[in-house]
Amino acid sequence: MVGDFLLVGLNGMTWAMAVFLVAAGLTLIFGILHILNFSHGGFVMIGAYLTYTLINQTSGPTGIFVFLAVAVLCAAVVGVLGYVIDRTVFERLKAVDDSYSLIATYAMLILCEGGVKLVWGPDFIALPPPAGLDGALLLGDLFIPSYSLFVILSGIVVFLVLDFWIHRTRSGKVMQSVALDPWMANVLGININAMFTTAVVAGFALAGLAGGLLAPNQSLSPGLGGTYIIQAFGVIIVGGIGNVRGAFIAALVLGMIDAFGTVYVPEYPGIFFYIAVAGILMYRPQGLLSGIR
Amino acid sequence: MSRGQNTSSTTSAANAAILAAALVFATLPLWADKGLVFLAGIVMVQIVFAVSFNLMFGLTGLVSFGQAAFFAAGAYTAAWLGRAVPELPFLIFCLAGGLVGALLALLIGVVALRRASGIYFAILTLALGQLVYTLIGKSDALGREDGLVGIKRPVIDLFVGTLDLSIGDRYYYFLLVACGILLGLLWWVWHGQLGRLLAALRQDAERIRFFGVNVRRYREIAFIISGGVTALAGALVAPWSQIITPAIAHWSYSALPILFCLLGGASRFWGPAVGAIVFAGLEYATRTMVGVSELIVGGALLVVVLAMPGGIVGTLSLLARKLTKNGKERLNEQSA
Repeated sequence: MVGDFLLVGLNGMTWAMAVFLVAAGLTLIFGILHILNFSHGGFVMIGAYLTYTLINQTSGPTGIFVFLAVAVLCAAVVGVLGYVIDRTVFERLKAVDDSYSLIATYAMLILCEGGVKLVWGPDFIALPPPAGLDGALLLGDLFIPSYSLFVILSGIVVFLVLDFWIHRTRSGKVMQSVALDPWMANVLGININAMFTTAVVAGFALAGLAGGLLAPNQSLSPGLGGTYIIQAFGVIIVGGIGNVRGAFIAALVLGMIDAFGTVYVPEYPGIFFYIAVAGILMYRPQGLLSGIR
Repeated sequence: MSRGQNTSSTTSAANAAILAAALVFATLPLWADKGLVFLAGIVMVQIVFAVSFNLMFGLTGLVSFGQAAFFAAGAYTAAWLGRAVPELPFLIFCLAGGLVGALLALLIGVVALRRASGIYFAILTLALGQLVYTLIGKSDALGREDGLVGIKRPVIDLFVGTLDLSIGDRYYYFLLVACGILLGLLWWVWHGQLGRLLAALRQDAERIRFFGVNVRRYREIAFIISGGVTALAGALVAPWSQIITPAIAHWSYSALPILFCLLGGASRFWGPAVGAIVFAGLEYATRTMVGVSELIVGGALLVVVLAMPGGIVGTLSLLARKLTKNGKERLNEQSA
């Protein structure tokens, strides 16, 4: 009984950290630029597909360090893509209405899907976890996939690094000031355009990293971007858009509610996520935490 | 908005275009193949879907990202009733579908319009729409993921006799008339007193509140009308496609009317209609190219949103105004 309880909690935790990995870059970009990037899930998907291709280039069983190196490389590639998109698209979206930027980035999600279909084909692709993460740990009578632990650990590490950057470093503090009052930051001699670009590149790199780390988590298909983005939307809006800590807490809360809800009402899996999102937003429309902090 | 003296010529050009489009739709079964006729029927329904959505979006200024929930509510209600009580007249099914959609809009509106606005409203309606999607996809009575299949085209009792809509292109003409009536209704709402009030809400809700108007109630009314007409469109589509699946409740289906509105121009009544037709044309032209289709549709959308903020209709009318202005100036110069 206790074992079952723990296992459900572990599933919820794995889901939460996977979605947090996707949501982190999304909420970062919104926090600074106030653009809700619909295409974020598409770039996570591109990161995952890139990882698949790169890992298939290496011969023999992939070790965990090769896997991590590939994920970081994908983060860099998607980060560069982010730079290009910042110059060509986001530059023009700063002045327009929220709904317009939502649809412009939705158009980019469609472009991502088209690109993935062209390059990798429309069929499902599976990537096995790397050697060392394909087994399971036995804790008493509890059977824990080691890849789940890896996803949980990755989520926590990414959160700690981001949180340290935003709250404990100079550049993070500067970023906060730009988010709060770009005009004043500009007057104080901060190059706000450089900060905007940094945020976008960092956000996209996080998307690429998430894609790389999560690639073995599920089978890859061109619809993956849409699936990712909807869950990430729920998480960042409940957390308070733009707030990384909020997103982390919201991911945990929603992950647990959904995991336990699915145990008690197995006929409708996934429904508790939406109920929880709607319910929490009813009472806290601005989300659990607000602002970039 | 200031109106120049050339408005009448732009308006008559627009009227001519609407008339031409209506004529094309009306004569389509005479010269086009079956696939195209089917597509045209879907496009007509999607036009009603998009224009009713635009009552919230273009007119009232609220982005609802769960509009597909109403469409699906209408379609599933009508199709399910058609199975449960086939002896009742078809129009009852449609009206019931619209009613269920309006009730659902009332429910979602009460939740979503209470405090949320802007992007929060969009995400909240998205979450609630996905809730409806999940419920439909997991419900045995509604056929789970497979949906409802083999929906019959109805026989309508006209008192003087019966009209069997399952023969030939009859249901297409029925759709044409029904969509025309619904568009007429929406036109009346958009241009009437309610429409003007909603437009004022979009421009300055705070000021309207000071005039003593209950802003939230009027937003709810707009949401209910929008949801109800969308559901009616859904009820009409079920016998046309003869199969409905949970895909019509999915969030990507909710994105369609937003796409049509921005593509065509959300500030005009006919903008979403133009968007729906252009979008269908793009998809039809690229239907066989896997991947390329998405690239073209996504690329076109991105270009329109970035370069033509008024959509196709907005840009065309801007162009027309510039052209007629130049022409008049040149005429004036000549006469001088």
